[in-house]
Amino acid sequence: MSSRSDKSVMHSAAWRISLWATLAFTCGTMIVFVFIDRFVANDIQRRSDAWLSGEVEVLGDVAERTPDDALYNRVVGEVAELASREVPNKAPSQDDDNDSVFFLQIGKDGALKLWVGSGDGQAQLEAIRAHTLIIERPSSIRVRGIAIPFRVAAIAMKDGGRVYLGLSERDEQRVLRNLRLRFFLLWLSLVLLGFAIVFFTTRRTLSHVRGINEAASRIGQMDLKTRVPTTQRNDEISQLAVTLNRMLDRIESTVIQLHTITDSLAHDLRSPLTAIRGKLESSIAGTRDDQQLETIVSAIEELDRLTDFLNKSLDVAEAKADALRLTPTSIDLDALLGSMVALYEPSMSERGLRIRFERRGPVRIFGDEGLIHRMIANLFDNELRHLSSGCTVTVYLDQSAGGASLALLDDGAGFDPEVKASLFTERIKGKESTGHGLGLAFVGAVVRAHSGTIAATNAESGGAQINITLPLTSAEELSHQVVMTS
Amino acid sequence: MRLLLVEDEHDIQTFLEQALTEAGYQVDVAPNGKAAESFAQANSYDILIVDLGLPDQDGISLIMHLRHEGVRAPVLILSARRSVDDRVRGLELGGDDYLTKPFALAELLARLRNLLKRNVPHNSETTRLRVQDLELDLLKREASRGGQSLQLTPQEFVLLEYLCRNAGRVVTRSMILDKVWGMRIQPDTNVVDVHIYRLRGKVDGNQQTPLIRTLRGVGYVLKER
Repeated sequence: MSSRSDKSVMHSAAWRISLWATLAFTCGTMIVFVFIDRFVANDIQRRSDAWLSGEVEVLGDVAERTPDDALYNRVVGEVAELASREVPNKAPSQDDDNDSVFFLQIGKDGALKLWVGSGDGQAQLEAIRAHTLIIERPSSIRVRGIAIPFRVAAIAMKDGGRVYLGLSERDEQRVLRNLRLRFFLLWLSLVLLGFAIVFFTTRRTLSHVRGINEAASRIGQMDLKTRVPTTQRNDEISQLAVTLNRMLDRIESTVIQLHTITDSLAHDLRSPLTAIRGKLESSIAGTRDDQQLETIVSAIEELDRLTDFLNKSLDVAEAKADALRLTPTSIDLDALLGSMVALYEPSMSERGLRIRFERRGPVRIFGDEGLIHRMIANLFDNELRHLSSGCTVTVYLDQSAGGASLALLDDGAGFDPEVKASLFTERIKGKESTGHGLGLAFVGAVVRAHSGTIAATNAESGGAQINITLPLTSAEELSHQVVMTS
Repeated sequence: MRLLLVEDEHDIQTFLEQALTEAGYQVDVAPNGKAAESFAQANSYDILIVDLGLPDQDGISLIMHLRHEGVRAPVLILSARRSVDDRVRGLELGGDDYLTKPFALAELLARLRNLLKRNVPHNSETTRLRVQDLELDLLKREASRGGQSLQLTPQEFVLLEYLCRNAGRVVTRSMILDKVWGMRIQPDTNVVDVHIYRLRGKVDGNQQTPLIRTLRGVGYVLKER
């Protein structure tokens, strides 16, 4: 169950929208963070370069002014030592071990004159010699044996020597690393939060759309009274729901109008028909003359045919406007067909026809039992009227994912090619047909009212074939029905 | 038998009143719901015929109202509406019956008799039916005529049982389809007649006195005597 809902979540539009929105958001924030990172890194470097340039100038000045005597090394060394304590970005907890700054003075001959820093300075000297340092513009130098490069500034002395001040980029890198870690955590939580917000809001929004869709499809199938759910908010979706409901109001009122017209038409015709039939029937009682009796009985029969014609015409008219009234229940089409085949079998065999029913077990559909009965009766009546003696009618019933499929196949002459294309249109009938051309139009109408499909072809063997599919009862409809009947 | 006919169409009123009187009912005619209510208050009826399309109110509301007032008599509903309302179905389940216009007079009379019979405490314990020399054993689902066993299909047995239960009364094709097959259809073809024809072949085949009689344009009757 949960894996099914997981799957459905991952197939939902909300999931897709959130993924894309998150991707866009991720890229956007990443670009912003890269810019900030570049800016901060440059700023840190600018600050340490400013410090280096200032300090190397001061140290150069001190080295210049200090007399070159026995105390020289001590004086200059102390000043350099003091300067190194004011290193920018220094971690507060770091101990005093001064390996992040070095002071290096070389003489005119290029030999090491004074070294303040950890180690003997030879490696640094080597690295500096390998680079052509631009005076007063600090640059990065890699020193053999030390992983992190130094930022080194230099100043030329009047005696031809040089003073170098080096600052390890370690602190700078640490600050940047801390910054990036915070950036990354912030970015990650923003992305997750963004995803969650987008996902839940779109899912909420789309759940309204889903509600509208479900209601609309229910309405499309059977009942016109239901309305799609509306929300309090005045956004596009609630406007869509309102518009749909207004459209449904109009459709319903049109259908009600049609029903009123057909009802009153039926009523206006039925009342006189009832009276005429009643009078004819009453007059049978007083008639002794056989011929007169025959006339009256055939008049009654004509009247009944007229009534049937009236009923079917009105049904087809309503069905054409998709306004056939259904009272749907869950029906076992297999049992229904079984009893109808049993009902028609004697008539068929009396006409020299055979009827076979190929069944595969219960097939439940959700439909109007009365209409389905009349639909099948129409199909069988049609076969009875049109097939010549010796033919076989075969009824196939099966179910697939597409629904219940019902096929009626005979080995007769097939449909008249002239009428085949418009078989399900009213008043269309074959040349020899004695019906009023409403039977198949009615069948088509019932199938459409049940959201099914119908097709008529001539089979390869030459007989007529009618294929009908009807939607199966869904579990939801079954439970709905249980609720309604309990 | 006292009957209240609630019908506003004058022509239908007239012929129904005449036919029902001839059939032995004492008929009162109410042209609208108001009149029907006062009739029902003043008299006690055995059965009611109510048209759904009354000028002053809906027939169903009238029936509900009468039921509320304590009228217990069965009701035969006449409807000119094409589709059968769910509420009519509800009433049908409650023991009442309905007919759509136009109807066969014989069918109306047959349904009235059915309703009246239903209203009388009915012996559901019956296990055997007997009409003249025709005997039906409802438990063993066996039929015999003059002591000779009849080879009937289950469907034919149900049909014969229905005819026997209504022996002496006319049953129409649509009643047979409705009660035996459970279908409210009106086939264009002679499906019911062929069933009856086959049944008659087995029941009356080589008998002196045929039991199943056809009333053309109306239906069938199983003779009582």
